[in-house]
Amino acid sequence: MLALSVDGLQVRYPGLPVPALDLPSLSLAAGETAALVGPSGSGKTTFINIVTGMERAGSGRVAWNDENIAGLPEGGRDRWRARNVGLVMQDFHLFPGLSAEANVLLPQRLSHLRLPAGMQPRARELLARVGIERPEQLVGTMSRGQMQRVAVARALAGRPGLIVADEPTASLDAESGAAVADLLVELAQEAGSTLIVASHDGRLIERMGRTLRLANGRLAA
Amino acid sequence: MFHFILADLRRNWIGALILALLIALATALGVTVTLQERALRLGSARAAAAFDLVVGAAGSETQLILSSIFLQSAPLPLLPPETLATLRADPRVQNAVPVGFGDFVAGYPIVGTTSDAVEMLGGLGEGEGFSHMGDAIVGAQVSRAIGDSFHPFHGAVGEAGEVHSHVEYRAVGRMAPTGTPWDRAILVPIQSVWATHADHEHGHEPEQTAGLAAVASVPHDHDHGPGFAGEAVDESGLLHTDNPGVPAILVKPKSIADAYNLRQHYRTETTLAVFPGEVLTRLYGTLGDARRILGFVATGAQVLVGAAILMVVAVHVLQRRRQIGALRAFGAPRPVVMGMVWMEVFILVAAGVICGFAIGYAIVRAISGYLARNSGVAMPVEFQTADLWTLLFLLAACAAATLLPALIAYRQTPAQALRS
Repeated sequence: MLALSVDGLQVRYPGLPVPALDLPSLSLAAGETAALVGPSGSGKTTFINIVTGMERAGSGRVAWNDENIAGLPEGGRDRWRARNVGLVMQDFHLFPGLSAEANVLLPQRLSHLRLPAGMQPRARELLARVGIERPEQLVGTMSRGQMQRVAVARALAGRPGLIVADEPTASLDAESGAAVADLLVELAQEAGSTLIVASHDGRLIERMGRTLRLANGRLAA
Repeated sequence: MFHFILADLRRNWIGALILALLIALATALGVTVTLQERALRLGSARAAAAFDLVVGAAGSETQLILSSIFLQSAPLPLLPPETLATLRADPRVQNAVPVGFGDFVAGYPIVGTTSDAVEMLGGLGEGEGFSHMGDAIVGAQVSRAIGDSFHPFHGAVGEAGEVHSHVEYRAVGRMAPTGTPWDRAILVPIQSVWATHADHEHGHEPEQTAGLAAVASVPHDHDHGPGFAGEAVDESGLLHTDNPGVPAILVKPKSIADAYNLRQHYRTETTLAVFPGEVLTRLYGTLGDARRILGFVATGAQVLVGAAILMVVAVHVLQRRRQIGALRAFGAPRPVVMGMVWMEVFILVAAGVICGFAIGYAIVRAISGYLARNSGVAMPVEFQTADLWTLLFLLAACAAATLLPALIAYRQTPAQALRS
């Protein structure tokens, strides 16, 4: 359960006269679901990178439950992200040589010395929940829809307070896209996680509680 | 973590295999140079170990050793006959056996000597020593059975020679293996060699030709006839001076002091006394220079291969920046990602280096086996403690070098990696 509060955030890139992202003030309540929309280049990816701590915020404050991640060093942001964020990306980023279950467990394995107790049953449970029947199946042999469902299970494995999905349905056919959208929304609600989805998918957008419309790095009304 | 590394290696197994193979071959090159040189050195040193002192006529020390110990036939000047007689009577001498060469049979050198030489060389494996002029003792590697008969050819190994059809030897014993070129030798009584050559080299000036082929002036029976082979060997003649002399005498002194005394005593204008060890040491000096040059070449090749491979790996890591970025995005700590990239590369390189040692060892075994079959010199192929240090040093160097791709991975932020 994480609530976001952004103050005076400006992200600038060298050589660009205007900030890539300029958010004077924004807050999201814990458990809120938000769609992030806007044309490409409007700052959606930068927004996601900043609120997940993948990129350093230039100036301003990005606080999740009063923890300002803009003030954390890179290692600290990595640790915070490992604890608090589940990521779903447009092109899955699953690792082809590994099974579905190993993929779900990979972030846990890499961020803990030992796999936390109960994590393996949880991975199987989640895979069953997203409709993957054979956890030992190599992801390389799966359809795109199945892969994204594995990615959803992976995002949820660590019980994150925040789930961030970047165009989760854009590379899927309509049917698989709808299934993934359903799963994301349902599972986030079940877990009580805050959900931010960057998307162009109208059906997914309308299921979100709120729409954040970005244009040229600024929030439009 | 290991899961991930293994899965990644399995997925790119062809590239990984080729990299490891290249590293293995480059390593094997260096290992081969080191091990082969060592095998040659140890093999020749051990072959010479049975011989304390070699006395020959004045001439080349190296040639004397090559001919008398390594049985590389070459014309040697003859010692005057009294040298052998004096040496055998010398109280400082435990044993002095003559060696006379000049004939061969089917590629095996025939060495004329005395029966006590067999004991000096390590004894009989089977059969008995020679007691008749026509008796022969074959070396452990000679493919003649006890009871076989043969005619000696005049000349040297590998040359077409004239057959001494009137002389026939019969193998009566076989020596125990010695790991020296003598395993390929056929030992016969020196008296029979004298007699054989006296017969056919009639008329040559002893000073002008060399080896036992030069024997000219022995009183002997021109018509050997069937009785020759059956004549008993008369070793009393060795103490007389009515023989043509021998090219070399292998001497076993009674003590080390005696050895130095004798060496001193026989370094004269007409005779030469050498410790095989000192000649070999000189040869190794030359060999060592060659080894160093080969070593530099091998090291250069290794460095080049290493640099090329590092480049390939670095490019590979750059190509995988998305994957590496994704790992970071999913919460893998930076040191873990770096460790994974490092370990994956290091596993490949280390496997290559270790395989390289094995391949080098196998190559040297094969070469040494071939050389041993052809020369009789047993070549010990062995690793020494120093090699372990070399291996550890190489692995440490690889561990350091493979940090480069790992550092590239370390420097990528997850956002950078995902943006591409």
